[in-house]
Amino acid sequence: MTVTTYDLVIVGGGAAGLNAAAAARARFPGKRVLLIDGEEEIGYYRTLLPMFMTGVMPEEKLFFQRPDDPVGYETRLGVRALALDREQNHLSLGNGEVVGYERLILAQGGRPILPPMFADRRLPAGSFPVRSLAVARRIKDWLPEHRRIVVLGGGLVGSKTSVFLAMGGCQVTLVEKEPHILPTVLSERTAAPLQRHIANLGIDIRVNTTIDEIETDGNKVTRARLSTGEWLPCETLLIGIGGTPDIGFLADSDLIDGEELVVNPGLQTRDPNIFAIGDAVTIETAEGEHHQPWTWPQAVSQGKRAGDNAFRPSAAPVPRVTRVNAQNISGIPLMILGGPGVGSEVVSRPDPDPGVWREFFMEADRIVGGALVGDIAGAGPLHFRMANGEAVGGEAPQHLQRRTRAFAAESWGRLARARRARRFAMEGERA
Amino acid sequence: MKVIVARVDRCTGCRTCELYCATERGSEGRTLLQAVQETPVPQPRLRVEGGPDASLPVQCRHCVEAPCLDACLTGALVRDETHGMVHVKEDRCIACWTCVMFCPYGVIFPWPDRKFALKCDRCMHMETPACVDVCPTRALEVIDLAELDGVSAEKRKAAATLAIAATDGEGVVHLDLAG
Ligand SMILES: Cc1cc2nc3c(=O)[nH]c(=O)nc-3n(C[C@H](O)[C@H](O)[C@H](O)COP(=O)(O)OP(=O)(O)OC[C@H]3O[C@@H](n4cnc5c(N)ncnc54)[C@H](O)[C@@H]3O)c2cc1C
Ligand code: SF4
Ligand code: SF4
Repeated sequence: MTVTTYDLVIVGGGAAGLNAAAAARARFPGKRVLLIDGEEEIGYYRTLLPMFMTGVMPEEKLFFQRPDDPVGYETRLGVRALALDREQNHLSLGNGEVVGYERLILAQGGRPILPPMFADRRLPAGSFPVRSLAVARRIKDWLPEHRRIVVLGGGLVGSKTSVFLAMGGCQVTLVEKEPHILPTVLSERTAAPLQRHIANLGIDIRVNTTIDEIETDGNKVTRARLSTGEWLPCETLLIGIGGTPDIGFLADSDLIDGEELVVNPGLQTRDPNIFAIGDAVTIETAEGEHHQPWTWPQAVSQGKRAGDNAFRPSAAPVPRVTRVNAQNISGIPLMILGGPGVGSEVVSRPDPDPGVWREFFMEADRIVGGALVGDIAGAGPLHFRMANGEAVGGEAPQHLQRRTRAFAAESWGRLARARRARRFAMEGERA
Repeated sequence: MKVIVARVDRCTGCRTCELYCATERGSEGRTLLQAVQETPVPQPRLRVEGGPDASLPVQCRHCVEAPCLDACLTGALVRDETHGMVHVKEDRCIACWTCVMFCPYGVIFPWPDRKFALKCDRCMHMETPACVDVCPTRALEVIDLAELDGVSAEKRKAAATLAIAATDGEGVVHLDLAG
């Protein structure tokens, strides 16, 4: 068996992996790098797939990197990693190849969760998980002829996909098993105006229920049964009930705790030569808190940091671990600071405008989560105050107020102090 | 890299910069008279913050490690290779406002009417930024960061009072008066 050894091997060419590869390339130009990915096509914005498959986004805007772009490292596409041997520093690939590594970055992301009725992972024609470009292409081809659609899962992906479908004139039923849409990130009160807004687009929203059976005709979806017993006639079933770290090939690597691939803030696994990033990982902070910040901005930041860290004597921590997420649900801006935590206090303030709502989850005098709906002014500074763990205490009500100015509340006292100090300094100079 | 710096000690909060930024960079007509009649109303790329006691125009600092660049979901936010400025490619922006959430200084402004994010690009294709040109009290100036290293201690002290010198990309606005 011949083994080709690389200085750095990266598993996964999503946002995290490609940014890691580019950063490592820039910082350590002499190193030989290999990137492998199970998909045939990489370098696209996964976040744009709902727009792409519903025809809102043209294909040419989907890619940030093209196959013939010079990248300065080797790639294997359409090839999956199958097993990791940490004793030999070997990775076995699906094409029979075995590659050696000095450093390894695991950036294999997540795979879609499928409902129990598809436990054997065999999907009838017309049912699709929303995750990869290959599947999105199939959805795009399928939709024009099959416009009665059930979207399973009222999370961020399911909700925004439903909105684009409805705007494209499809007949959409959105099914969510919790009492309201976006259940993991919003409270019921915050979700209410959004849910109304989405319903007004003509989307039939069914909550407190799920799909537990599909009927097919010649292996094509014809109707879906809700857990209430009602049958919904449909030709398409889109599955958006979330993803889970794709860690099967690491089963024997001793890197998995329970179901989690855990890394430190420097993005190292318990093997310091193996880094892991993006949707595949759980980050354990110095305080022992576990975070799963599975968003695009995090995948990019972690990728850059892991690439930078690859050959450094000590790994620098990722600049910030945050789960915040923003969405524009057909004109309603939505900023999600973090889901309702257990035991956190809820502070909120009604606004005369029914489309505007701000809510925070507080622990002691720190904001730990919340959401801004309809009015997002000041969201950036607020986010960073939260991420830095700054106490806001009595100022929280100020942040709840509707604001048109970006960050007047934060800067006012500071500016006044600075100006007084400046005058004081000038007087001192003159004296 | 040339950045715009603002001086708290000179700003009177008149908001002339906002008006001319919106006119020069956001309107079709390019004159104040025409701009105010346009729909949607042209928007400025910087905002004067603060109250009667102290005010300050705030705009993008073009951070070296810009959190907004990592955050953009579409590749609309990019750094210009020649000028080093962070700017929005409007035709690529999908108005998701993720970047708004990731600017610690709050200087990316959603513009729902035109469906893109609005931010200062330091008028990089112009001789002088519009805001710097029009500020009646010269509270806005263009400074070359590279030249800052070579300036006298006295000038540097003045620079330390400038609100927008630091470009480290983290935290909130720096109004450090030390040094
Ligand atoms: C439809 C959709 C919409 C989204 N919208 C948003 C949004 O609006 N905002 C936001 O912040 N986030 C959004 N996200 C989440 C965001 O896309 C992810 O957090 C981000 O893409 C994670 O990047 P990653 O590189 O960690 O993983 P991925 O992008 O999943 O990349 C992992 C890559 O590894 C490959 N791979 C997996 N296993 C193996 C293996 N064994 N061997 C080789 N290769 C392998 C996969 O094929 C894949 O290409 C969305 C996600 C989806 C699916
Ligand atoms: S984070 Fe804010 S200040 Fe920094 S470059 Fe981006 S927009 Fe400018
Ligand atoms: S609003 Fe536009 S520039 Fe900002 S993150 Fe979204 S696509 Fe990028």
